[in-house]
Amino acid sequence: MLEEALEHLVKGIVENPDDVQVRARRLRKGKVLEVRVHPDDLGKVIGRSGRTAKSLRTVIGALAGGRYVRVDLLDLHEVR
Amino acid sequence: MSNGNTENAEENRGSVAVADEPGQDEATEPGIDVETLEREGDIAADYIEGLLDIADFDGDIDMDVEGDRAKVSVVGTTLEELVGDKGEVLEALQELTRLAVHRKTGTRSRLMLDIGGYRDSRRKALSRIGAEVADEVKRKGEVKPMAPMTPFERKVVHDAIASAGLRSESEGEEPNRYVVVYPADH
Repeated sequence: MLEEALEHLVKGIVENPDDVQVRARRLRKGKVLEVRVHPDDLGKVIGRSGRTAKSLRTVIGALAGGRYVRVDLLDLHEVR
Repeated sequence: MSNGNTENAEENRGSVAVADEPGQDEATEPGIDVETLEREGDIAADYIEGLLDIADFDGDIDMDVEGDRAKVSVVGTTLEELVGDKGEVLEALQELTRLAVHRKTGTRSRLMLDIGGYRDSRRKALSRIGAEVADEVKRKGEVKPMAPMTPFERKVVHDAIASAGLRSESEGEEPNRYVVVYPADH
């Protein structure tokens, strides 16, 4: 559910919604959601002073109901 | 980023003791008509409704035009998680919703999002507090700084102070910006 919620939130605010990919990875103490967006949209999902990134994390954190979830915002071509 | 909402604009002015005077938030944008605001409301409602569906929240969405801004309210019983501590989740969702509107319309939006009646109840409580503080300042004749508040909350307090016939200003930096109330002769 969290991946899907995050994908919806991000797709709604970027210029290239078809390029948005969300992948979940398990961590020992929780979960990481990796969001990949078109390089031109990276600035947009981060926002001025990280404001948009913070909003995304706040909403996802609330939906996670206290469980630890990290949200990473990446360029589509970034390799991990 | 081309989008700058009221709060950003406030940050940009930066320095201390810049007043967000009562009424300033109501400044009418040229060329904003009801049709534009209704379209903003539609886009916002789709965005929020999609999230509610995914996260399995029960909520109905009401759309309204309040003054010169669109208002989208999610009405339902179990929405506390989407409001959060001091409304922080609500503020985050409003921010994202404004961006979603901006992407589709190309113009910045001042849309107001409310969830579970949070803003309405905050508004009532803060109007009352504002009136009480105004009374106190009139009685004692002393300048009174209030607790830090969000831009929305400060706006409500400024309005309450103004309707009590006093002057107030905002001081400090976000997120600790607060209202200061001045006695009549100050």
